[in-house]
Order: sequence, then C-alpha cells, then structure tokens
Amino acid sequence: MALLALLLSGCGSWSWGRRSAGPVGWGSADRQDPALSGNGRVLASVVRRDGRDTVLLQEQPSGTVLPLRHLQRLQPHRSPSLSWNGRYLALLVQEGPQRRVVIEDRATGRLHRLPLPGSLAPDSLSLAADGRRIAIATEGDGRARVQLYDLTALLEPDLPAGLPVRGTPGEAP
Amino acid sequence: MTAGASSRMRAAAVAIVAALQPLLAGCMVPLPQPLLGLNQRLEAAGPARAPSLAGDWLALIVSRGGRDRVELVDLQRQQPVPLPGLERPDAQPLSVAVDGRGERLALVRQLEGRTELVLYRRNLMALQPVPLQPPGVPRRVSLRADGRELAVEVSRQGQWQVDLIAVP
Repeated sequence: MALLALLLSGCGSWSWGRRSAGPVGWGSADRQDPALSGNGRVLASVVRRDGRDTVLLQEQPSGTVLPLRHLQRLQPHRSPSLSWNGRYLALLVQEGPQRRVVIEDRATGRLHRLPLPGSLAPDSLSLAADGRRIAIATEGDGRARVQLYDLTALLEPDLPAGLPVRGTPGEAP
Repeated sequence: MTAGASSRMRAAAVAIVAALQPLLAGCMVPLPQPLLGLNQRLEAAGPARAPSLAGDWLALIVSRGGRDRVELVDLQRQQPVPLPGLERPDAQPLSVAVDGRGERLALVRQLEGRTELVLYRRNLMALQPVPLQPPGVPRRVSLRADGRELAVEVSRQGQWQVDLIAVP
C-alpha cells in the first residue's frame, strides 16, 4: 500500500536539487554540524578556525558571513541550532572546564546562558523554530537522556512573517 | 520585650520583605523551565540522544532492549506516534531530523555495512534514499522547519563538507 502511494505520488521522478553550502573562507577547512534556520535563509555550521571549532553563520544562498557578538572566546562550539528567521542561535560552548548551553539573540546582541543541573553535561541540542522550547541531550549519572525546556519566559517568539504572537515573554530583551 | 514591641517588629519585617520583593524581582533572570511531564515520559522511554525539535514534534534516537530506534513524539499529546516502514531491526540510526509538521523525517543510518541518508514521509509511510553527489559518507543531518531543504554533513576523501539538498 505504501509502495503504491509512493509510486502514485510520482516519487520515481523526484529530482534532488543540490547546492553547495559555499566556501568557509579559511582554506579547505572541515565543515560540520550544519543547521538551517526555519526559513532556510541562514546556515550555521562548525568550522575549524585557528585550530578551534568555531560556529560560522552564513546567509543563504549568498554565503555572506553574519557577525556573532559573544562567542569568540568560548570554543569549541558544538551543535548549533537556529530559530525560524535565524534571530536565535543556540549552541554548546566551553567556559573553562564546563560545557554550557547558550543562546545568542542576534536582534539584541544578548547572550542567554541556560543552566543545567550540576551532574549533567550537555551533548547536543535542538531549538524549536519559534524559540519557545529547546531539547537538550545530556550525559550524566551513567545515562544519556533528552530533556525539554520551556523558553517562553526568556525569549520572544521568532515566527514566520504574518503569524500572530501569542503571549509575552517574562522579560523584555 | 513587650507584646506590642514584638508585634511592631514583625510588622516592620513584613514591610521590609514586601518592599524588597519588586527590587529582587528586577534582579532575577528568568530561567528556562523543564517540561516535567514530558521529561518524565522521555526518561521512562529509555536512554535517548540526538534530539530534533520542530513545532510540536520531537524526533530522537532511543535505546531499548539493546537496540537504537527512531522515535517521533507528538508533544501536544505527549505520546510517540507509529512510524511504519521506517524501522529495520538491522539498521543503526545515527542522526534524525523532523520538520515542523511532523511529516518528514530525514535520517542517517547504517545498514548492511554502509551509511545512507534517507527521507521518510509519514503520510505515505514510505522511505526514500537520498543519493549523495558526489558520493560520500553522511553523518549528521538537519531539516528546515518547513521541510523543504535538508543540510547534511558528508565525509569525502577525508574532509567533512556540508551539502544542502532541496526536498522535492
């Protein structure tokens, strides 16, 4: 039945459009951990820069590099994730011995730190496109787990143009 | 101390605390709140990793009975939904991504000694391989919230690259 549906949908003639993510600007550096904004206009990836894994934010399809304000001394960067318009960039950074979850608000320039219970080390994350929730994979107490957090008290929603905003954040940015 | 003095001190203490509250509130930074009910359900499902969150959907890889499998959770209903045709007992999922409607899942998995990128459409209950050109070994995948494009990390000749692939 599923096969029939697939054939009827014309999938046999699907063609996969491809494009390069563009040059990273530092020679032939490795590029890893890609994440697209919800509308596809911003690509985040992690590149090796001066020996350190650094998040690179680029407009698509032009490849223009977008500035980030707070992350220069917090490498290695891991697991970037973007909201719908790319206003929020969530990622893992290193602060001394601690791996931390942070969110840079590109509209206000503010950096939000998300504290986790002491025994848990973040391993990866995923930010919902509207910025209302985040899923964080952690390791600790001998177990890998995924936990969800509500961010509505912290972040304004980042929605597609024309969608109404429901509720207000607990704090203005 | 007389009863009257004690009463006045208590009233003063209450007034001081009441006056401090707005000041303290101004200093307090709002914190992300754990979604306790959902987190308890996720905890009960078993060890989990590699989350992908979009809209009201959470895709992740859960270990159960010594086997890793992809799970898609409807966050509104707080329940996993079936994914017929996606799983194979001999496949090892490495990375998963979901779109904002919970309709499309991109998956990197190891199967029969090779690593492949596939796209699953829930309404069709069908899985389709996504060819990589030029050929390479995929690892992590991410999907746009509108499901129209995926970004995948690919190893080619010892270098990691990122391919952007429009989803037809």
